[in-house]
Amino acid sequence: MKRSLQFNRQTNMKTTTFNHWQLAAISRLIFIATFATGLSLWDFLRADETCSSPYLASIDGQEEFVYVWTLGVEGLGDGADKLATVDVKPGSPNYGKVVSSSSVEGRNEAHHGGFTDDRSQLWLAGLDTSHVFIFDVHTDPARPRYLKTIDNFAATTGGAIGPHGAYALPGRVLIPCLSNAKDKGGRTALVEYGNDANYIATHWLPTKEDAGGAANANLADGYGYDARVLPRKNALLTSSFTGWNNYMTEFGKMTADPEAMKHFGSTMVMWDFHTRQPKKIFQVPGAPLEIRWAWGDKHNYAFTATALTSKLWCVYLDDKGEWQAKEVAPIGDVKGGVLPVDISLSADDKTLFVSCFGDGKCRVFDVSNPLKPKQIYEKQIGKQVNMVSQSWDGKRVYFTSSLLARWDKKGADNEQFLRAYAWDGKELKPQFDLDFTALKLGRPHHMLFGSTKVGQNRVKLASTN
Amino acid sequence: MMRFLLAFTLLLSAIGSAAAGEILARDPNHDYDPPVPGSYSLPVIKVAPDGNLLDSNGRSSSLRDLTHGRVTILSFIYTRCAAPNACPYATSVLSQLYRISLEDEALAKNVRLVSMSFDPEYDTPKRLADYAEAMHDASSGCEWRFATTKSRAELQSILNSYGQAVDKRQDPTDPQGPLYHILRVFLIDRDGRIRNIYSSGTLDTRLVLADLKTLLLEEAKLSKQ
Repeated sequence: MKRSLQFNRQTNMKTTTFNHWQLAAISRLIFIATFATGLSLWDFLRADETCSSPYLASIDGQEEFVYVWTLGVEGLGDGADKLATVDVKPGSPNYGKVVSSSSVEGRNEAHHGGFTDDRSQLWLAGLDTSHVFIFDVHTDPARPRYLKTIDNFAATTGGAIGPHGAYALPGRVLIPCLSNAKDKGGRTALVEYGNDANYIATHWLPTKEDAGGAANANLADGYGYDARVLPRKNALLTSSFTGWNNYMTEFGKMTADPEAMKHFGSTMVMWDFHTRQPKKIFQVPGAPLEIRWAWGDKHNYAFTATALTSKLWCVYLDDKGEWQAKEVAPIGDVKGGVLPVDISLSADDKTLFVSCFGDGKCRVFDVSNPLKPKQIYEKQIGKQVNMVSQSWDGKRVYFTSSLLARWDKKGADNEQFLRAYAWDGKELKPQFDLDFTALKLGRPHHMLFGSTKVGQNRVKLASTN
Repeated sequence: MMRFLLAFTLLLSAIGSAAAGEILARDPNHDYDPPVPGSYSLPVIKVAPDGNLLDSNGRSSSLRDLTHGRVTILSFIYTRCAAPNACPYATSVLSQLYRISLEDEALAKNVRLVSMSFDPEYDTPKRLADYAEAMHDASSGCEWRFATTKSRAELQSILNSYGQAVDKRQDPTDPQGPLYHILRVFLIDRDGRIRNIYSSGTLDTRLVLADLKTLLLEEAKLSKQ
């Protein structure tokens, strides 16, 4: 089609020659096209797991695999950390079974991982060795293929250690860390690598001495844990935990040491995402861990849970356009050692699952009013429980048991499992249960969803379907 | 052909309906103020990969020629794309930058826009030439180059090196267009180094403009040293 053009003398540029009614008709066409496909920008950005990066390509339909980053246990199987792949495809003869397992070198304190934004690679981090293992999960999602290891993390990043996971950004991954090579305390950084594992940058968390211009500099502690982005507000939020000295120490020994217990994070930081500059520091006592931004296109808030004080907190935009942090609900009895360690927010922003390591329970909150959550359900998952992952449709919820090799419970309480449940809005009903000790795999930790359909649908980031 | 017309109409409307004053406004998907140029840094991500191209005149060239000598915005597109928030959106952002460069001498002299097709069978040099003519006036404003490749093999090498995923849709008659792809737009400095990668959620004209100006300020600062 050869379109008619005219020359605009004022701006020295070509413009279209549509008149008002044509422009109105075209605007309607765009609206209808968008409406007909039922899409908004968030649909393009959404992921299949409710806790994934909004920049991550999504799975078309139900997840087919659960990837489980598993800590090796000395004397159990090959003793090495490994990526276990569990088939969860409905109707599959292997449903609920481990269909492949790929061991990496040694034990690295396997912890969290994440995909690159095109979902072709899975990056898996080790908190102890600071090794990051990269797998191809695109070629054959049922059998991830090891590609390479980043084994010079501390030297390359300028001293950051304890990579906590990998968060997909466009063409790169953001790796929030927990510690530093100098004193192995809680001072740490956010690190960026390109999708082809080339180092890009290190951004140290603000401290009182070097707050980077952030408000409330006097609160800054330099600690880190999770990092999550709300794209439409250009907001990056981070939380804080503790350093190598603590997370690699036996739990009982650490808690008996008053000095060690002083070294936990008590802050969250709001950053300008584009510039990676800290803007405001919030006091959130008791180690705020996982961050979950709401998905609704007018929901300007995120939740976190504090492990040591057992509280739900909400970070929200107030009426004046200022970010604030507020304690919004207790999670069980603090003195009972509840230890909330992971949270999962439903895609409709109404239901929050909270897994509690100390008593092995999952507590479910109605968070329709984010500033007034109400507990609506609880269930005993095991003698200990750590991660909780929820499918985008909210119908399936998966739990794993291991927190850290030296913090897991001992003896008969040291259950190691992946347990799958169906959620009908009222209760969790068991679907399958995998005993990772009996299977000689180890301590299952982070779960991520996979599918054979991703390759055909990764365009959901930007296009449609 | 009808799909192409729809895609083209969507694109032109996205460009043509934007009044100049609206270009730099917030919108619900980009609800924040852009940063002040030069107030932040853009670390090097990697060297922009090279490859063999055909320009819109059908002449052989190298991608390197389009990623050196000016600060470049490289956008991977295909002209049949009819997904409103994919290629039409990316090209509308480039069009906005082009319009701004008409009234900004520094941008006109120092910036290059590149629309690189990943649909060589359809996006022939002739089609790209027509497309280019509709997009801009080559005699003013910043450079805006349009490129394709001779073969799918040469294309795939470029796509792999830039991490630009493209797959055929199962239904080639899909109203959104026959190809799946992630949205990838690259900011490349004058020395051919990638300094930012934009995708859905980060491709905001105001951010790209701030980044372009930040690199130009960086050059000015370095030249004084």
